[in-house]
Amino acid sequence: MKNVMSNKTAIVLYVLPSLLLVLFLIYIPIVLTGYYGLMDWSGVGQMKFIGLENYKKLIHDKLFWESTWHSVLLAIFSVLSLVGYLIVSLVLASKIKGANLFRKIYIIPMLMSSVAIAQLWIKIFDPMNGLINSLLSMFGIKDTPLWLADPDMALYAIFVPIVWQYAGFYIIIIYAALINVPQELIEAARIDGANAFQIAYKIKVPLISGVLKVLTILAVVGSLKYFDLIYVMTGGGPGHATEVIASYMYKEAFGKFNFGYGSAIGFGLLIISMGTTWMIQKMLRTNKE
Amino acid sequence: MKGKSGSRSEHQSPLRRIGMGILYFVLVIVALVQLYPLVWLFQLSLKTNQEVFGMSPFALPKSPRWENYINAWFDGGINKYFLNSVWYTVVAVLLTLILASFVTFALTRMEWKLKGVVLALFMIAYMIPLHSTLIPLFNIYNKINLIDNPVSIILSYTTFNLPITIMILLGFYQSLPREIEEAAVIDGCSIHKIFFRITLPMTVPILSTTAIINMIYNWNEFVFVNTFISSEKWKTITVGVNNFVGQYLTDWGAIGATLVISILPILIVYLFLSDRIIEGLVAGSVKG
Amino acid sequence: MKKKALTLLVLFTLMIGFALSGCSSSSESASGDKSGDGKIHLKFMHDWPKGSSTAYYNLVEEIIKDYEAKNPNVVIDVEVLNPDQYRDKLKVLAASNELPDVGLTWSNGFAEPYATGGQFAPLDDIIEKEFKDQFVPGTAESYSFNGKFYALPMEMNITYIFYNKEIFKKYGLQEPKNFEDLKNIGKTLAKNGIIPATVGSKDGWPASMWFMYLADRIGGPTILTDVIHGKVKMSDPAIVKAAKEIQNLVDMGFFVKGNTAFSNDDAKGYFLNEKAAMFLTATWELPNFTTSPDVPKEFKEKVGYFKFPLYEGGKGTDVNSYVGGPGLGAFVAENSKHKEQAKDFAAFLVKEWGKRSVEGAGILPATKVNTEGLDVPEMYLDVLNDINNATNITTWFDTQASPNVSELHHDLMTALFGKQVTPEEFAKQHDEALAEEAKK
Repeated sequence: MKNVMSNKTAIVLYVLPSLLLVLFLIYIPIVLTGYYGLMDWSGVGQMKFIGLENYKKLIHDKLFWESTWHSVLLAIFSVLSLVGYLIVSLVLASKIKGANLFRKIYIIPMLMSSVAIAQLWIKIFDPMNGLINSLLSMFGIKDTPLWLADPDMALYAIFVPIVWQYAGFYIIIIYAALINVPQELIEAARIDGANAFQIAYKIKVPLISGVLKVLTILAVVGSLKYFDLIYVMTGGGPGHATEVIASYMYKEAFGKFNFGYGSAIGFGLLIISMGTTWMIQKMLRTNKE
Repeated sequence: MKGKSGSRSEHQSPLRRIGMGILYFVLVIVALVQLYPLVWLFQLSLKTNQEVFGMSPFALPKSPRWENYINAWFDGGINKYFLNSVWYTVVAVLLTLILASFVTFALTRMEWKLKGVVLALFMIAYMIPLHSTLIPLFNIYNKINLIDNPVSIILSYTTFNLPITIMILLGFYQSLPREIEEAAVIDGCSIHKIFFRITLPMTVPILSTTAIINMIYNWNEFVFVNTFISSEKWKTITVGVNNFVGQYLTDWGAIGATLVISILPILIVYLFLSDRIIEGLVAGSVKG
Repeated sequence: MKKKALTLLVLFTLMIGFALSGCSSSSESASGDKSGDGKIHLKFMHDWPKGSSTAYYNLVEEIIKDYEAKNPNVVIDVEVLNPDQYRDKLKVLAASNELPDVGLTWSNGFAEPYATGGQFAPLDDIIEKEFKDQFVPGTAESYSFNGKFYALPMEMNITYIFYNKEIFKKYGLQEPKNFEDLKNIGKTLAKNGIIPATVGSKDGWPASMWFMYLADRIGGPTILTDVIHGKVKMSDPAIVKAAKEIQNLVDMGFFVKGNTAFSNDDAKGYFLNEKAAMFLTATWELPNFTTSPDVPKEFKEKVGYFKFPLYEGGKGTDVNSYVGGPGLGAFVAENSKHKEQAKDFAAFLVKEWGKRSVEGAGILPATKVNTEGLDVPEMYLDVLNDINNATNITTWFDTQASPNVSELHHDLMTALFGKQVTPEEFAKQHDEALAEEAKK
């Protein structure tokens, strides 16, 4: 048995193609990003080596830490929303009538491109004749909120479409995991008198914990480097109220021609992501034991 | 608390019925909310710019502007880009799925020393922000003459989706029963036979799931296409959307029409793959 | 099951084979440089997509066809992107020294890194030879660095307050003579539930137009240019006062509610739908107010415009001083393999553009226009006249500033309109960034 499962040629054959692709097309850029971070470079013309200057500046850059905080908040919200997706998936994966149809419908928004989603939610949040404020004023509320235009509210308002956009992604994965849970175990528990909640909590959830762990990491890392809707819907504004690490990096590198500093931000993001992932893995491991 | 009310409802059917009623009410409401964006998009596709801005965004257009679809098809160039989108997406999705399955199989089923390192390498690869990679990637492709060549797009899609696909597969491989594979080993099956004939078919549900996810990513992607492709003949359908964005004017009606046209194919494929998620399960459990 | 696995395997091998063959064949063809038809291929990139900038796109296509007809040995390979993507791609291309032979660039701050970084070719020879006294004064200078010219300007826009004549009439309002009048107009309209003015301050630059005009009217026409050149500080009392006036307008409900979340397009909608009475914008909107078939005729007839009114006691005493500037200009890549041909094409493009753009597309070029016998709506003639009689055209502050300061300026404009910064803080942050820039 050992012989077959430690077949060296097979391992190389299975792993090497992917590894080479990732090394060439992702790791070279990662290394170069770190390297550009050591340069004073507009992206055009001469590079000037300035050592750790960019990284020093990064550590003292209030705006960078503010954006990091926003990204971290988004990560927290995304992880919390996983609980909601888990509940929805549990319902959809139970044997209720029409579950199949509901599941298909629930995932449809995921098919839409960010361009459409951004435009839809801009219209929903529009302070003058957007959906929410139209409803509010129908109920006689006069002083309707400004949503994305209000610096104190914009960040939380924009979390809603982001979290919603990814609902389908998480639901479809959790669902696939749930229906993979062996039916015999559930039947056995039912015969023992366990109710639906107990089966869900004591059997289904622990059995898919591996998947949930992965999803937590994906949610956190995905949030930390999140860019799309923020850039289209608020551009990080008003006044950096919705600035996140990736939008800040983009603005520096592509907007302001500070490619060196932008690269340093990108590298900083990478390190933050690595640190956070390491922490999550530690936490999830100790939780279990 | 939970246990009590739960077990009581087993016996008291009226309470249970009310519970189910509420559940279905909520499910239907959520379904309507999730379907609405499609309806909205369709409405948008029939509006003029004037109707899009200023007027209530949720009102119906006064007279539907079907011209938007003609604009989308010709000015947006969907007729030219459509096939490119299809084959880039199909090839990249298949490549990603098979490569990721290989890696995940090796990581969870086979025995070797550098597992941890390799897994970490794939996980870290997921963390790099897209915009940090553009200039280095352009340089790499430029050096190996892949600029303005669809291979650069397919390689980028495959590679950048590999880490996330591997991570999703990983969770599933860990929970899959190993008995059948172990039996096959004892029977003297070769490693490739085990992978292709036993493991891969067992993962059809999750392969369908990751196929859906990969497909959506690739179909809607435009940063790589815009950066690495310059000839019209190699561009994709997302370029059609961007054709309607201008400095002083953006034609939202035409964008809506383009988006409606471009969402239809993946909607159909999605519905098809979506059924595979369950079918695969049946096949897998029969095996088991 | 077996069958499925087998199909997958076969597919996979096919894919790999395909990818590899793709690799090798492409490197062969690319090493042969061009497609081997013996012609000179010039790459030309612009950011006027057919869908959103139809008139621009068609005019460029027409000119290219004429050029190819005149030069049968030349083929122009065009790539079109939307402005955002164009900007990003230009950057990536420049970083790899792969700029197209001919392309478009914005003026001043945007062009500077490319010009001084050796990416754009100096075009002094062409300007001397083909464009002597052809450009509207000041436009070519917007692309000039270290005494050399790096692009041929193609656009020239100035800004006005466009207004809805019908709404004004309904409330008995006149075009304002001074800023106090403008405020009173705002008060009357706001009282009657009409949005006085719409502005997309999420984008920063539309909001900046209000600020630039107020600075011009309060501190005099040169004050912002002086700030750029370090002669005056942003914390100059006149500029702070301009910023204060903006916030006064915000306080009195002069601007559409929630404007810090509106893009220019969102904001424009309120004007086009007659919910807002005024819209400060540039002459690139003229087609929308005159010829565009997409805008109803009844609306177009209601649109009038006036010059930004004077400010009592301000140093800017000439209503014919405008905020505006050149938009895009054509550059030639320093690395171009066919530089002379590229220059020739760029010159042809800009020249023909100047001849045809007003009548053909409703675009105001940066080359001088002969208004005699021109068949265009009256509004165009008025505007062209105004440009000829302008005593000063201050190029947009964000265009003049370096990319660094420009981005900050946009953010600060949004913050100023959203009252997230005080006028003093607004000035201070500008000064800090400008000082940092001066150190470089």
